[in-house]
Amino acid sequence: MSASKSRATNLHKAERKTLISFLSLYSFFSIILLAISGYLYYSLQKDLMLEGQTNKLQEDSYKLISRLRYLHEHFDEDHTYPRFPDFRSAIYDSSKKLIFTTLNEESVNLDKRLYTINENIHYVRLLESYYLGAMYIVIEVTDSGQWFRYMKKEVIIYGVVLFVLLLIVGYYLFRLMLSPMRNSLALLDRFIKDTTHELNTPISAILTNIEMIDESKLEPLLQKKIRRIDIASRTISNLYKDLTYAALGNRVSSRDEKVNMYHLLKERIEYFKVISSAKNINCITDLHKDIYLTIDHTKIIRVIDNLLSNAIKYNKRSSFIKVTLRENYFEIEDGGIGISDEAIKSIFDRYARFNKSEGGFGLGLNIVKAIADEYKLEIKYKSKIGKGTKVRIVWKK
Amino acid sequence: MEEVKRLAVLLLLTAVIGNAQIKQLSKEEIYTGNCMKCHKQMSLTMQKIFMRYLLKYSSEVSVKSALYDFLKNPNYFTSALRKDQIARYGLKGKTTLTDTQLRKAIDTYWEKYKVFGKLK
Repeated sequence: MSASKSRATNLHKAERKTLISFLSLYSFFSIILLAISGYLYYSLQKDLMLEGQTNKLQEDSYKLISRLRYLHEHFDEDHTYPRFPDFRSAIYDSSKKLIFTTLNEESVNLDKRLYTINENIHYVRLLESYYLGAMYIVIEVTDSGQWFRYMKKEVIIYGVVLFVLLLIVGYYLFRLMLSPMRNSLALLDRFIKDTTHELNTPISAILTNIEMIDESKLEPLLQKKIRRIDIASRTISNLYKDLTYAALGNRVSSRDEKVNMYHLLKERIEYFKVISSAKNINCITDLHKDIYLTIDHTKIIRVIDNLLSNAIKYNKRSSFIKVTLRENYFEIEDGGIGISDEAIKSIFDRYARFNKSEGGFGLGLNIVKAIADEYKLEIKYKSKIGKGTKVRIVWKK
Repeated sequence: MEEVKRLAVLLLLTAVIGNAQIKQLSKEEIYTGNCMKCHKQMSLTMQKIFMRYLLKYSSEVSVKSALYDFLKNPNYFTSALRKDQIARYGLKGKTTLTDTQLRKAIDTYWEKYKVFGKLK
């Protein structure tokens, strides 16, 4: 049985999330900016192309006007509308009513001087003398579209290059903006690391010395006092380990190994026995032997310790804790105060605490969740107020 | 009884068609009787005059309106002809037709010489 790991990045999770949000927004606005620039470039290119056609279209219009004048003067003899091989034309009266057309494109905008429509270029000219009643003449030539294809290629290439450049700039901008915050966090991390490290030595000394004391030789009153010191030290030790994990644990690479869950659970139950016996809590175990999980030893200890610690902390006096181990899960059940369905939704949030009378930073379950996510372990949480809580950690077979 | 009914319907239809023909004829008559009477004797044809109006006024509404204005009040300003043409052919007198008759005559004139539908 093993649990697979799913994390390999230099960036902190929150930073990565912010980077994705920032780059998405940045990309969105960059695309809009590039689209506007592209459109403006397209308009400019089109105008240039049309202006390039103007002289030829004007010449065509002179040709047509000349023929219209002739036809106007000889209309009683000839009714044949002039046609030309290199352009098509149409004439409209002053009320924009079509008189005659040889255009390919039926749709005409007489309010524009020069425009493109469906691979055709239209040139509209107003006449001073209305030959055949024509106030507007429209000259139509076919647009080869070569300029458009060339322009499209240019826009795509430059657009992609600019977009990539903008993304790179955005990324460095993000790093630059984040650096003061990163420095502060690093400073804070270093501080926590140093502080916790300094805590470790005295806690270890207390715990080692307590273990060395032969309780049978002590008077009952002193024995009671020593036990209290033991409980307090173990609690501080647990807190110290959580703090170390929160500050560093999720950033150091894991050393996965095959962990015998039976032995480990036994060992951790034993470790918490002093604390649980202080509340007169009965610890029941139902553990199957030879069950292994491939995981970082320190991390699975954090999971078990936090769940056991919570089971004791939020339990009633003289109640019970039941630890079960099966092939693909272990379960810790308590007969404690329980937690509401509403509160269950946020139990894994960092600094979330549901019983202020008990100590702690609200880090425990957040650490459990982080480790479970890392190793794709499933957490099943069932609780009933006044009856107790059952937490099951499931892994794939 | 059935035959009488048929006869009545037949008479009614004849009357309606007959009336419509009279109306159509009268529209044509106004134009020929009042316009063509003089113009057919002139070397300046009705077609030439129409093309002058078309050259100056372009659309149907403008041409008809200009013709109406001229015929109601013929002078150098309302005429579409050139000065030399007016000097040569002179200005006609004010129309004696009623507004309705005049408009009918102009409509007939437009229909006869309009460019729409004649180009090929």
